[in-house]
Amino acid sequence: MTWEQLGGNLIQGLILGGVYGMATMGLSLIFGVLRVVNVGHGAFVMVGAFVAFWLFTALGLTPIAAIPAALVVGMALGFLFFYSVMRRLVGAPELTSLLATFAMGIILEEVVKLIFGTEFRGYNWDVGKMDLSVTVLPLAKLYAFIGSVAIAALLYFWFNRTRAGTAVRSVVEDSEGARVCGVNVGWVYALSFALGIGLTVTSGVLLTMFIPVGINPYMGGVYTLKAFVIAVLGGLASPYGAFFAGVIFGLIENGSYSLFALVPGLEPFAMTRFLSFAILLLILLIRPTGLLGTK
Amino acid sequence: MRSKISAVVLGLLLVAALSWSAEAGAPAKVVIGHPVCLSGKFAKEGSQASWGIKACIKWINEVHGGVKIAGKRVPLEYKFYDSESKKEVVTSLIERLVRIDKVHGIIAPYSSGLTITGAPVAERYRAIYMSHGGASNRIFQQGYRYAVQILSPATLYQAGTLDMLHKVDPGARRIALAFEDGEFARMVMRGAEEHAKGLGYKIVFKRTYPKKVTDLTPLLSDLRAAKPDIILGGGHFQDGQLFARQMADLDINVKALSLIVAVTLPAFYDALGAKAEGLIGPAQWEFGVKYNPAEAKKLGLEWFGPTNEEFVKLAMEFSGGKRPDYHAAEAGAAPLVFVKAVEEAGSLDPDKIREAFGKLHLMTFFGEFKIDPDTGLQVGHSMVVVQWQGGKKVIVWPPAAATGKLYYPMPTFAEKAKGKKAIPK
Repeated sequence: MTWEQLGGNLIQGLILGGVYGMATMGLSLIFGVLRVVNVGHGAFVMVGAFVAFWLFTALGLTPIAAIPAALVVGMALGFLFFYSVMRRLVGAPELTSLLATFAMGIILEEVVKLIFGTEFRGYNWDVGKMDLSVTVLPLAKLYAFIGSVAIAALLYFWFNRTRAGTAVRSVVEDSEGARVCGVNVGWVYALSFALGIGLTVTSGVLLTMFIPVGINPYMGGVYTLKAFVIAVLGGLASPYGAFFAGVIFGLIENGSYSLFALVPGLEPFAMTRFLSFAILLLILLIRPTGLLGTK
Repeated sequence: MRSKISAVVLGLLLVAALSWSAEAGAPAKVVIGHPVCLSGKFAKEGSQASWGIKACIKWINEVHGGVKIAGKRVPLEYKFYDSESKKEVVTSLIERLVRIDKVHGIIAPYSSGLTITGAPVAERYRAIYMSHGGASNRIFQQGYRYAVQILSPATLYQAGTLDMLHKVDPGARRIALAFEDGEFARMVMRGAEEHAKGLGYKIVFKRTYPKKVTDLTPLLSDLRAAKPDIILGGGHFQDGQLFARQMADLDINVKALSLIVAVTLPAFYDALGAKAEGLIGPAQWEFGVKYNPAEAKKLGLEWFGPTNEEFVKLAMEFSGGKRPDYHAAEAGAAPLVFVKAVEEAGSLDPDKIREAFGKLHLMTFFGEFKIDPDTGLQVGHSMVVVQWQGGKKVIVWPPAAATGKLYYPMPTFAEKAKGKKAIPK
């Protein structure tokens, strides 16, 4: 390994981590407000990937144009699932909501399979590359990173500077208190769930800008696992914590690869996973609520 | 009263005797079972397999006239359930197929991992277990009596590619190996490494990556630093797409890039476009291969089953018009050789069928079939090497099967971005 390889891998890790972070924010938002763990998370990421793929191949729209479209599709799905399923499950035992979100994921996978089939698909949006001397960075990846940061910043603004965001924060703090103060808690639940799903579907578009191949109805499972690790690392109920944890996760995954590659006989990829989980355990031992989580 | 009892007993005995004779003589039908992957990770390969199997069963029933056994021709039936590409489902489905559906043979699910999972269950019930998508040699090193391999074993996957490149450019000696960390790909890597060393190649990079990988950038960055002339890699479809795409993203250029599984599928070019130009890959079968009755006759082998053209036409009846790929072909060959073995055995006794399998040496549209009689490992079938040239797959190796010349070295990704195609002059 050379310093160039390590530097190159860290840059790639930072970019990917930003997208991972964005892909986890929806999961954290839903858990923060509704206390529901969305185990169908990956299936919603997959829907976003198909939105980007379809808009690009069928209508010639770029993935950047697909971002607002995915947000709309995701929020529509979020409202649909909330009013048809989740509304009845708010406050229900965890296992019930867990199974419900699991079922949503399976339904989405099978519906997408019916429409698009089981092929692994991809698209080619080539907008140039940047040669950073230590690595080559396709601009599409850079745009995905910028998009992730911008969406995270917008969400921060929405939470802290708007009336609706304040209402959501009040429900997170104390739903009964918020109700007494006149907040429409039911609407906040619906909006938060829809926004969480909207963010997750949008992250699917950003992920395809980073990795524009392998788009398949069953592609989401691996992102569910990563999102859980990142969400717990950042503090399960904290969307911003999730974003920063995503960046850390990306840096650990890519950066440690170069270091483990120095040890003869080790398979670096296997060790990066080990290290990610070891760091997760360590952080949880020191801060059981995660990096930015609160009690 | 006594006469009534005697009549009932006699009647029962008669029914029993009749059913016995039916069992001992020609059965009403022959059934093959399949825990097929119609959903989950291998849904694509599983769907292809089911089209191929249905096509060949249709040929057996409608053209061949059914399975010839005990002087009669009886229909061949296909009993399948979706195994969801999951190991735990595969094992329970094999039990169900044997114990409840009473199948006479089993077609294994796709992939070496799932095939090796199901093998001990099939073995326990003495069921013929045909591996159409389990290429790992390890499946056939466990001493299983009833396992039979249809396709070429994993250790031979990259042998043709290496022979071809060695012939074309003996000066290109630095090889990088980067394969998926799975049963099948590990075995391919082992075979490739041994074969490459035998040809005098220098292995300058050798690593694996996990299944369901979503980013190969760190591995490819290290691989670039090793400065290989040739890269051999891959595992299955998704990672193969990712491998080629991220090679292009990082602008890593080599003289030849051979990826297993992914390169051979049309969706590979659909997803990557011009970036796929010049990439090569080994294939168990490709439309256009020269396996036909005349070729069989030349080799002194019996021909059995539909021709290539007939197979494709039949498979497209079940695929909704989609063209079958090699997953369909290797699976389709399974019922053909099974029927041949049953007919040679003249019985549905698994030991007799297995013995007949050991003696079979014939040619189908999928190629030659001959197994090692002791282990069940495929020793007759040959693979071909394909290359994407101008958006079309061309068979470039072996010379006897080639439909075109190899384009070498592969164009750089920058050249491909400017529209250069890998079409030989």
